[in-house]
Amino acid sequence: MNSLPVTDASVDLTRRHFFGECGYGVGKLALAGLLTNSFARPTGTHFAPKAKRVIHLFQAGAPSQLELFDNKPKLKALEGKPLPPSVIGDQRYAFIQRDAAVLSPRFPFAKHGQCGTELSDKLPHLAKVVDDVAIIKSMYTEQFNHAPGQIFFNTGFPQPGRPCLGSWLSYGLGAVTDNLPAFIAMSTGGGISGGSALWSAGFMPGKHAGVRLRNSGDAILNVSSPNGVDAKLQRDSLDLIGALNRRRLAIENDPEIATRIDAYEMAFRLQTSAPELMDLKSERPETLKLYGVDPKKPSFARACLLARRMIERGVRCVNIIHSGWDAHSNVAGNVTKNARATDQGSAALITDLKQRGLLEDTLVIWGGEFGRTPMVESNPTLNRKLGRDHHPQAFSLWMAGGGVKGGMTLGATDELGFHIAERPVHIHDLQATLLHLLGLDHERLTFRHGGRDYRLTDVHGKVVKDLIA
Amino acid sequence: MKRVSFLAAAFCASQLFAVDFSREVLPILSNKCFVCHGPDGTKKEVLRLDSFEEATRDLDGYKAIDPKALGKSELLIRLHDQEDPMPPRKAEKQLTAAERDILTRWVKEGGRYAKHWAFVPPKKLRPDWTGNAIDALVGRRLKAEGIAFAPEADKATLARRVSLVLTGLPPELLLLQKFLADKKADAYGQLVDALLASPRFGEHQARYWLDAVRYGDTHGLHLDNRRGIFPYRDWVVRAFNRNQPLDEFLTWQLAGDLLPKPTLAQLVATGFVRMNPSTAEGGAIPAEFQAKNNFDRVETLGTALLGMSLTCARCHTHKFDPIPQVEYYRMMAFFNSTAESSMDGNKYEYGPTVKAPADIAAWAKWEALNARHASLAKQPEEKEQAAAVAKEIAVFKKSFKPTLIARDLPKPRQTKLLARGEYNHPQGEPLRPEVFEVMGALPKDAPANRLGLAQWLTARGHPLVSRVLINRVWQRTFGEGLVRTPADFGLQGEQPTHPELLDWLAVDLQDRKWNLKAMLKLMVTSRTFRQSSVRRTKVNDPENRLWARGPSFRLDAEAVRDVALWSSALLDGTMGGEGVKPYQPGGLWKALMHPGSNTKNYIAHKDARQYRRSLYVYWKRTSPHPMMTLFDAPSREISCVKRSRTSTPTQSLALLNETQRVEMGRRLGQRLLREAKDDADRLNRLFTLVASRKPNAAERAACMKLFNKLKQRYAGNAKDTEAYLSIGDSPRDKKLNAAEHAAWAQVAITVLASDVALWVY
Repeated sequence: MNSLPVTDASVDLTRRHFFGECGYGVGKLALAGLLTNSFARPTGTHFAPKAKRVIHLFQAGAPSQLELFDNKPKLKALEGKPLPPSVIGDQRYAFIQRDAAVLSPRFPFAKHGQCGTELSDKLPHLAKVVDDVAIIKSMYTEQFNHAPGQIFFNTGFPQPGRPCLGSWLSYGLGAVTDNLPAFIAMSTGGGISGGSALWSAGFMPGKHAGVRLRNSGDAILNVSSPNGVDAKLQRDSLDLIGALNRRRLAIENDPEIATRIDAYEMAFRLQTSAPELMDLKSERPETLKLYGVDPKKPSFARACLLARRMIERGVRCVNIIHSGWDAHSNVAGNVTKNARATDQGSAALITDLKQRGLLEDTLVIWGGEFGRTPMVESNPTLNRKLGRDHHPQAFSLWMAGGGVKGGMTLGATDELGFHIAERPVHIHDLQATLLHLLGLDHERLTFRHGGRDYRLTDVHGKVVKDLIA
Repeated sequence: MKRVSFLAAAFCASQLFAVDFSREVLPILSNKCFVCHGPDGTKKEVLRLDSFEEATRDLDGYKAIDPKALGKSELLIRLHDQEDPMPPRKAEKQLTAAERDILTRWVKEGGRYAKHWAFVPPKKLRPDWTGNAIDALVGRRLKAEGIAFAPEADKATLARRVSLVLTGLPPELLLLQKFLADKKADAYGQLVDALLASPRFGEHQARYWLDAVRYGDTHGLHLDNRRGIFPYRDWVVRAFNRNQPLDEFLTWQLAGDLLPKPTLAQLVATGFVRMNPSTAEGGAIPAEFQAKNNFDRVETLGTALLGMSLTCARCHTHKFDPIPQVEYYRMMAFFNSTAESSMDGNKYEYGPTVKAPADIAAWAKWEALNARHASLAKQPEEKEQAAAVAKEIAVFKKSFKPTLIARDLPKPRQTKLLARGEYNHPQGEPLRPEVFEVMGALPKDAPANRLGLAQWLTARGHPLVSRVLINRVWQRTFGEGLVRTPADFGLQGEQPTHPELLDWLAVDLQDRKWNLKAMLKLMVTSRTFRQSSVRRTKVNDPENRLWARGPSFRLDAEAVRDVALWSSALLDGTMGGEGVKPYQPGGLWKALMHPGSNTKNYIAHKDARQYRRSLYVYWKRTSPHPMMTLFDAPSREISCVKRSRTSTPTQSLALLNETQRVEMGRRLGQRLLREAKDDADRLNRLFTLVASRKPNAAERAACMKLFNKLKQRYAGNAKDTEAYLSIGDSPRDKKLNAAEHAAWAQVAITVLASDVALWVY
């Protein structure tokens, strides 16, 4: 057992303790050891992990499960009629009325792979790897607005201020590499309702926050030296900082100064490792073709390929956020466009990871913050027609690799796709399961803040054992 | 090596004296037992340990504590039951032997309960001390540990330390020189007075408050549009500079609008009530956000003023602290009748608003005009003059800017308990506004509204507010609080390192009529504060809980930037006004924002606003300036009373490569070349600016080595030199030797990026 009770002071207690024990005078000796790998010290799992890292392909805006994963032919029969009031109950909707008419699925579905999982024709690439994928059709949440929904999915709480999954992993498992951050976030598509809360460390120290990899300019903020400063000059400057800081360390003997010395060294390495990461020249043409990537153009597929490169280089958690699924109008057009933007890259990532033997211990998750209504949203004043509204009661997502059973479908909705009929999975259950696959007990991975031990899953969450291979 | 053993000390003390329930027993019960046997145990049959009444309740023939037969107390039996112990074997939190012993002795001594220390009003156990009470109380403890105070820091270090602590900037060079030359006994006191009187004082102190109230220039959710609120920030800066008594400071913010004939400043201050993040997202339901906005207000009040995390009580009775769920909603009733709509409409003027002076100079001008008008109006013969001034006032008011304020509805909204905190599950009878019972009652005759709430919070007997505030003042002065969990004075929080001192200071704050400057002066003139910050070989106290050395900590994000702006003479001293936008890498906002947002494009200011103090940097809550967040500034989406202090590689990159850092280095290099006659003197100047002292031999050698290398390199590479010296908008003195300039610029950046400049010590 290895529970991790750490207070919210930013101080690395272990190291502080170490210095305390050793006392004055051995600072220099200790420092030599610390400089080698203080950023790569894992704090430990609770049991043997199946997955070692995570790539989260977060589909912000809430993709329509009814046009992608959850085939409901019955809706066709009911097209144009309201749902029975007994189904809707007291659910309130943002834009539509309770008597809104049913909208039939916009696209045909077919069975794929040996497992026979049903997918719509908008996911031709996923169809090819579906035997490696587990689809959950019975996800639900309480949040039915984007900002709280997205923050909830990523942090387990609907308001900003808590650490997200990647921060928990950075805190719980530490980093694998000295050359890149443990947790990296990227975004493609439009704006993100939940904002930077989706990669924030919340109340944890900032070193657990996701470092944002950008599509333009410096990949990591300030990673390039200014004009007129080359690597050698930067190195010389770092040596001076090192000299000044070591002297302060010798006087003050404060371990935080040692941490900063480390930080400068990693910064220097980042100046080489970040451009190297972003440079797709070493990728073979077949790989670029598999993803459908133009190396010069930012895209979701390029982000997927970069995600693979990141985990190869030791990044613990990658969160790629694709926005644009909020189909209040023209759900058919929305799904066509966004599936085209994401399907090939997502499927290529699975294929590529598998070819490289990385899929078995890399967990890939694909899904949004909630689902969409079986009823139509149409509003002439807002110029909306044939759309779908937010639907927290039931939605679908998929997972692959990292100890997840491939080729399975978990849970089901009723024949209208409104309620969950089988095996409901709450977002907290999903989070508990993710941590479990990574060797962490979601009830024991705690962080003390403001007098309380916090968890990713708050006081909820049950591991979904059926998903685990 | 002497080892300070707190537990052992407590243990020995308790062998001699009766067990102290509040300080020894309650933390154990709270931490190890209340999860199952705490105040939220609603089922009748559950044994509860959170009060004497509950613990002595007859549970079908047995009692947790049986006062008539202590030896038969179930608690005692189960504590030592080998077969079926408590806590159960499978429980995650087990008792240590020492804890089991404390509980055992406590029950044997009668199992008496007392209130948790923080819920008992503070008292000065001894009102008068010879000399500084801080030193008396810290010194008493040091003496008990057999430790002496550390020697005093040298004068230059001390001047830098106190200046950074009070104003967030190093001492002005003249002030520093005067102090170093002044051999009189009160030289230090005079330095402190000068710093307290500086307008930079209010700007620096305001920052901490703005974190606590989560000040931001945008709404915070979804579109995260612009919000009219900066006059509130300016009011806070002025309040600190004018040393407004803290009780009044709080009252205006909570209830300025409810005061008789409120002044403009009193109304602007109520922006505090309106500081909650808000939304107008299409799908949001007004009733839901009415609840969410109020949750946020109640919980901010909890963190910022009560030092209590109240979030638990939103959904259920608090697990550890005696806050029943219904009391959470009674507290919410104080805030539930404000007049604004629960959705912000994405509007800048998310009403109610008033218009207020556009910056701090404008406030001063406006007040001067009003004073003049008032005095003229009293003199009948000056009627014409008065009319002219009135006209001037009317014209001046056209420059005013809107700011969000609080107003109550004529008829209060109904507040009910929300089951599990769900907005659509109100339960039971409507609730009257009422305060937390464990912290006392509303003062007699206090109205049941926000004004009454303010009167309660600032009343003499309030157990928490003065403690919580003075603890944070201590924290920003000494680097850590007396209570290390400033957001939690509840049962799960830490005990104060020096309980009697905390209470003495809390009462003293009230005795001195909530005079913040007086309290700060008491702190910074103490021997405790003036100690050298060097870690001591013979004192094993890594977290400085004994205060046996002076403060030492990394500067906050704002100060990191401000120190560099100041030393490079780029700092623009203009105070207040709309948030300013220094350089920021392109696309940061755009990549994040909804296309409909009016904060999706960041357009950096091209003028002096680039160089204003960081306090005034535009605070977009979903994406604050990266130089702020990189150095652990909070997003201001929720209340923050303690920032973390991390050291990360991305900070290092920013310190060396960010545009404004490079520009500041260039300007500092230029300043050195212009103001000092040779290289040795330039380096002296550089160190005097950032460290208030000259470099020592080792530092000098290392810096000059780099300088000479750089000079040579740039002399042979005009293109790089030119490129480097062209970074940033501010002009450059082209008369200077470019290679020397570039070399000094890079040395300056480097020293500014080292801990010599980044730390208070």
